[in-house]
Amino acid sequence: MRRYETIFVTQPELSDEDHAELLEKLRSILTSLKGDLVKLEDWGVKKLGYHIRKNSRGRYFLMDYLATPNLVRELERNLRLSDRVLKFQTVKISDQVSPEAAQALKEAAPPEGMIKVTERTSLPEEQEEGGI
Amino acid sequence: MPKPQFKKKRPFQRRKVCVFCADSSMKIDYKDVKTMRHFITERGKILPRRISGNCARHQRVLTTEIKRARNIALMPFSIASS
Repeated sequence: MRRYETIFVTQPELSDEDHAELLEKLRSILTSLKGDLVKLEDWGVKKLGYHIRKNSRGRYFLMDYLATPNLVRELERNLRLSDRVLKFQTVKISDQVSPEAAQALKEAAPPEGMIKVTERTSLPEEQEEGGI
Repeated sequence: MPKPQFKKKRPFQRRKVCVFCADSSMKIDYKDVKTMRHFITERGKILPRRISGNCARHQRVLTTEIKRARNIALMPFSIASS
């Protein structure tokens, strides 16, 4: 098992139901391919560093999970297909997670796995919008 | 016969110390835009090592992390001049 982190940005004006649907889909991929979710963070709507498909804002989500490479491929394929997702990026955190460490992570994970993080301010307000 | 030495006109500069070496608790992470923001110019370019004083190892890590942040739009590639 490897540990990955996928960060993705969705259209900011989507409703909560749309987001729930998307997250549910990602969760089902994770369970069907025997991945383990460590945490899922919702950073809320943030200003983007540059415009993506004419959006200057986007809602950020961070998924931290244990998986095999084929799961990442499947997950990214789905993110690519979804027009709600503006951008995504997967980073490998560790190459080898021992079964014991994986168990510990699984137990430490919150039941719903959803943590809302709002204090993480990325692009400060004083920064002017990059006109691209 | 020793030749007269010409003084260079460069002003003396204190040798800068890599902030990440000085404080080992500091981690470079693409999600942490706050710390990385000190290492870019107003235009959004990555500051060179000779300016920031970072060591080679940390500069290398920092560069990849900034590029990751740019890729996911946490940081801009360029900021338009006003």
